[in-house]
Order: sequence, then C-alpha cells, then structure tokens
Amino acid sequence: MEQKRKTAREIIEGYDGPKLRIMEVCGTHTHEIFRLGVRNILPENIELISGPGCPVCVTPVGFIDEAIWLAEEKGCVITTFGDLIRVPGSEKSLAGARAGGARVNPVYTPTDAVAYAEEHPDEEVVFLAVGFETTTPASCMAVKQAKEKGLKNFSILTANKTMTNAYRALKGSADAFLYPGHVNAITGADSCAALVDEGIYGVVCGFTAKEILTALAVTITRLQEGKPFFMNCYPRVVTDEGSTAGKRMIEEVMEPCDTEWRGLGVIPQSGLRLRDEYAAYDARKKFGIPEMKGRSNPACRCGDVLQGKCTPADCKVFGKGCTPLHPIGACMVSDEGTCAAWYAYKRDVIE
Amino acid sequence: MAKTVTLAHGAGGKQTSELIHEVFEAHFKNPLFTADDAAVLDIEPGKLAMSTDGFIVSPYEFPGGNVGKLSICGTVNDLACMGAQPLYLTCAFVIEEGFPMDKLEEIAAAMEKTAAEAGVRIVAGDTKVAGKGQVDGVFITTTGIGRIREGVKTGGALARPGDAVIVTGDVGRHGCTILLARNEYGIVADVDSDCAPLWGAVDSVLAAASDVHVIRDATRGGVGTVLYEIAEQSTVGIRIDAPAVPVDPAVKGVCGMLGLEPLYLACEGRLVIIVPQEDKDAVLAALRQGKYTKGAAVIGEVTAENPGKVVMTTEIGAETLLPQPGGELLPRIC
Amino acid sequence: MCVGLPARVVNVKDGVALVDASGAQREVSAELIEELDPGDYVMVHAGVAIAKITADDEEETDALLDAVID
Repeated sequence: MEQKRKTAREIIEGYDGPKLRIMEVCGTHTHEIFRLGVRNILPENIELISGPGCPVCVTPVGFIDEAIWLAEEKGCVITTFGDLIRVPGSEKSLAGARAGGARVNPVYTPTDAVAYAEEHPDEEVVFLAVGFETTTPASCMAVKQAKEKGLKNFSILTANKTMTNAYRALKGSADAFLYPGHVNAITGADSCAALVDEGIYGVVCGFTAKEILTALAVTITRLQEGKPFFMNCYPRVVTDEGSTAGKRMIEEVMEPCDTEWRGLGVIPQSGLRLRDEYAAYDARKKFGIPEMKGRSNPACRCGDVLQGKCTPADCKVFGKGCTPLHPIGACMVSDEGTCAAWYAYKRDVIE
Repeated sequence: MAKTVTLAHGAGGKQTSELIHEVFEAHFKNPLFTADDAAVLDIEPGKLAMSTDGFIVSPYEFPGGNVGKLSICGTVNDLACMGAQPLYLTCAFVIEEGFPMDKLEEIAAAMEKTAAEAGVRIVAGDTKVAGKGQVDGVFITTTGIGRIREGVKTGGALARPGDAVIVTGDVGRHGCTILLARNEYGIVADVDSDCAPLWGAVDSVLAAASDVHVIRDATRGGVGTVLYEIAEQSTVGIRIDAPAVPVDPAVKGVCGMLGLEPLYLACEGRLVIIVPQEDKDAVLAALRQGKYTKGAAVIGEVTAENPGKVVMTTEIGAETLLPQPGGELLPRIC
Repeated sequence: MCVGLPARVVNVKDGVALVDASGAQREVSAELIEELDPGDYVMVHAGVAIAKITADDEEETDALLDAVID
C-alpha cells in the first residue's frame, strides 16, 4: 500500500533543520496567523517575521497630518477605511480631530465616498487612498466615477503603494516570503516568479488555515532543498498574469512615484500618484496642502519591527506607553499591525 | 400633518398631562402606576437587587425591537443576572422636539408588552422634552428592583476553575442588526436583534442547577468583553473553543465583509452562564426549552492557569489569546 | 493588507454584482472581471470583486502538497 503523504502540519511540526526565517508580508496574514495560533505550533527553529504589508502601518505620519489639515483648515469631510482613524499623526489622530469637530466618516469602499459626495454637493469630500495593488483599483474607480459624474467636490489624498520594489528593499531580511495572495490576485503570480532571478524566493499564500499551513509547509520543504524557488500556493484566486483589468485601471489613472514607507524610508518608484489628467481629483493639488514633515515618537521602533530587525518586545514603549487604546506607532493601530497582533495575542502567555 | 412632540409637552402644563395621559398612562397603567410624586410599594422581606441603565440607540427602531423594548430588557436582564426576579421599574424619557407621536406610542407599547412578558410593573415615570438636536430621537433610562431568589448568589468574582462556560444563544446579533440598520456600509442581511427579556430563562436555570456561579448579560462589548471581565474579577483563566461559539451565518458574513469579530458585537438577549461541570447538562437542557435560549451552547471552561486571560482553542487546534476588547469598533478593510 | 471575502454572485448588471456571503449581501464592482455569471464565486476586497475563485481550499491545498512532496 502507498504510504500516506505527510500533512502540512506534520511537515511544519516535524521540521528540525537549520534556522529558517520566513516573512509574511501581508498584514492579513499576520492577523490570521495570530488568530489561528499558527506561531504556537511552529518548532523553535522556524521564525515568522511580520513584514510591511499593512497599508496603515507603512503610511507615514505626515499623511495623517495632511488629512487632519484638510479636515480642520479646509473643512473637508474625510472619508476613509476604518483602519486609518486611530493612526497617530504628529499631534493627534483622525479620531482626535473628530472629537474636536472634524468630519471623519468610515466607508466600506471608495465609491461609497463618491456617492456621499454626490448626495452632499455643498461638502468637500476627500477620500484617503491607502493600500497596495489590491485596494488601489477601487480608488481609481472612485476617481473615474467622480469624473464621469462631473463632481467638483470629490478628491483623493494618495498614499498608494506597490509591492515589488518593497520586496527588493527587504531582500535579505528573511529566507523566503509568504507573498500576499490578494495583491497577487491583481499583479499575478508572474510578478513574484520573476524575482527568483534576483535571489528573492517565496510562495503566494492564501488566507484560510489550510492555505497558510500549506504555504508554510511548501516553503519549508523548498528551503530544505536549498534551490531557488517560487510557487503559487493560491491558484484558486491567483493566476499567472493576475487581473489585466485591475492593472489597466491602475495604469490609466495613476503613475509610479517615489514614496515614503513609515519605518523603511523612501523606496524609489514604489508609490502611485494621480496622472495629470486627473489632477482635479488630487487633494494635494486642489487644496495646496503645505509640505508636512511628520514627527513620530523617537522611542517607537515600528520601522525596525517592519523590517524584521526586532520584535515588538524589543521596543521600550511596547505595551507600556504604546497600547491599542493609546497607540504611539502605526503598527499598534491596525488589527493587522505587528505590534497590535503581539499585544492582542502574545503579550505574556502562550509562548 | 402628523402629530409630534413639542417643547410645550415638556413644559409641565396641560399638554404635559395630555402626553402622560394619552401615551404613558394608556400603556403603563396598573394599580401601582403612580399619579403622585412617588410610587408606594409593599415589599416582602428578603434581599433586593436594584439596577439602572440608560438607553440610547440609533436608529431607535430596528429589526427585532425598538429602544422601548430594549429599555425594559436591559434592566430586567441586569436584575436577572443577580438571580433576582424583576418586580418594579421606573422609566425616564428625554424626547427630542419634533419626535413623531405615533413612534412614541409604538415605543410605549413595546415597553408595555415586554414588561408584561417579564412580569415586571412600571410604577413611575418622567418625561422631559429637549430642543431639536439636543438629543437623538428619544433617550430612556429605566431603574428596576427585583427580589433575589432564596439561597442564590451569583457574581462576576465567583467563577471557579473547572466550571463550564455557557452562552444562551448565537452571539453578536444585536450589534450586527444596529450596524446594518444604520445603513452606512450598504450591506443587507436577514438579521434581527436578539433583544429579549431573560428572567424566564434565568428562573429555569436556577431551578435546574444546584449552584450557579456567574450570570452576565453580554451587552455592550459582547461576549468577549464579558469573558474578560469575569476572568479578571474571579482571577481565573477562561478557555473557549472558538469553533463552538454559535454565530448566525449571516452575522458571520457581515463580520467577514467588515473585518469584525462577532465576539465583540453587542447582544441584548444573551447571557454568559458559568456553572460547575456537574450542572452543565441540566442547565443546557433547561435553556434549550426556553423561548429565547434554544441555541444555548457550552463554549468553554474556567481554568486555574492564565488568570485574567481568555484563551481560545482555534480551528487548527492551536491555542491563542482572545484579543482584549478595545476602543471603537471600526470596520477593517485593508 | 487586504481582507478578502469569498462570496457568491447573485446577479450582475452594468459592471455591478450583487454578492452573497452566507446571507450578507452587498453590491460590489464587477469591473475587474470580464465574464461573471450568477452562481460564480468571487474574492471581494473593499467593495470590488478582485478575482473569480475556481476551487475550494481543501482540494487545492491537497493537490499542492502532492505536487511538492514525492
């Protein structure tokens, strides 16, 4: 009789080779990995590092300051994904601004912000466009819709980012990446397969318990074989070429630019801004926002955490000055943030 | 034009007495409902429980209830959690100028019906009218007293290692209903509030079990928040089996869309009950006979280890901490 | 990074799909997917169907491991 193949879990739990460092890039992976307790079944010689794949966490302080300036100085209604509301700016968060009378509305999708603008022609509505390739098409759709409807009271504040150059910047931080499946749904598996030639390895990973365990088991197996590798472990969602329509949508409305990642600094050509044809929908141009050099708390080590250089436990303010209710760094804000996840799931027990 | 509440209704004159007469007395009348400055009550000797709660909900009517029903259930359930049979309630209204009179009627009717079901009498009330925009629709505060069952002692500090942790039905329905009723996120689902008076359920539990340690009403903050409160007050750990927590599929779907955790959504008709293991089956059997508690389930146990913490056994069989509840519930998309 | 939810397509009209996730329904953009029919499953993120889903995770993960481990 044929011997039964090992399960993903058996492969993971049974690993006893040299130390492996695997970075889960996506914040939703970080969240699910904690929620499922995956770290608690890993052998000691496998380290999972949480990477910079949480748009909230990599959004620089100055961006929040810009949004607050729009709300307070220009009386704009700020529409945003809920995640950004508690992110600290230099002085305060959007929640703090709201308590002082600023209008801040969470929305489910950017096109809901367009609908709101259409229903409230007397209000200036600004959508905070954060996110990676997965989310950016939705913001582009919103801008296109606003243009088609001829809305004069809608604009977006862009902090959109793209992942490929971030992988390059992070090369060496880990032995392999678990690539963010929903980014690859747009960019395609090929975008990461191409990185193998540059010595960057990993697998595209899904989000259910089975998918995460399988992606880890495949990564461990391939790393043990010691050869360059890439594998799409999420083919039910991710195709080789990705979403042609999604990529086209981004390209039509936005163009690459250099951008600052909180903690990582400026990564060349890793950001997106509106093309000139859509300048009327660019809140920076429309309102002439002054340059904001955000000030973050110097004790905060979010940047090192994002690069896998230290864990939250190594940060002096973690769990003391910096908690989910009173976050100092962005990584403590979003449920996806590494520090928030550590605080929630790992503070002192169940190691 | 539809009749509305005006500032004159709150001024203490003729219109005030009309409002009281036509709306409140019409629904709340019983021999003890006072026309004087205070109700006069005969109370048998024994221990009493007393509780007060303010009810603000936007929108004030929602699938499965309205703020009136909520205001009775909330206080009745708070008393029931102490093992007290609810006896008397008072209610105070703050009504926004311009509030539709027929809606106020509906609210009063819901209060009457719910109070009758819970076996509690409304004995005194107060009405104020606030200017437009000073309150959102109508705010109701209810205060209640109840008689504690002989020999019953429940409290958040009384959970003991080894005890079973029970919830009386699927979690997060009320919070989800309100979220949908606000229609901020364009999501539609067939979910109604679990809002219900639970003295009957508690009565059956007290009859079925020799010793009930904790009964807690999982309102604001949901079951997750209540579990943390109990773990802290009793200095014990609580281990829950994540897949055993009952959640309505549509609630799960809504939470999936918005990135929310059902364990932190409010309930208004769900109790967390902690009893010794030997009473577990009898309590569960009693609850499953009840009108509002048919979906009762054991979700975990109390432990000596991890005091103050709630630990989850997850779907892959690993253990992890249930995240501490915190802050405003914001939909998480990215 | 990107919370995704698998959902079933109820109907599609003018680039907008009504999707259902175990009873929760919402209209989402179907602009990124060329052919979409009622009954199809999609991955939804921030109000946009980002991909058509072809299989469940059970079958797929088994096949992946079979391929990797001889």
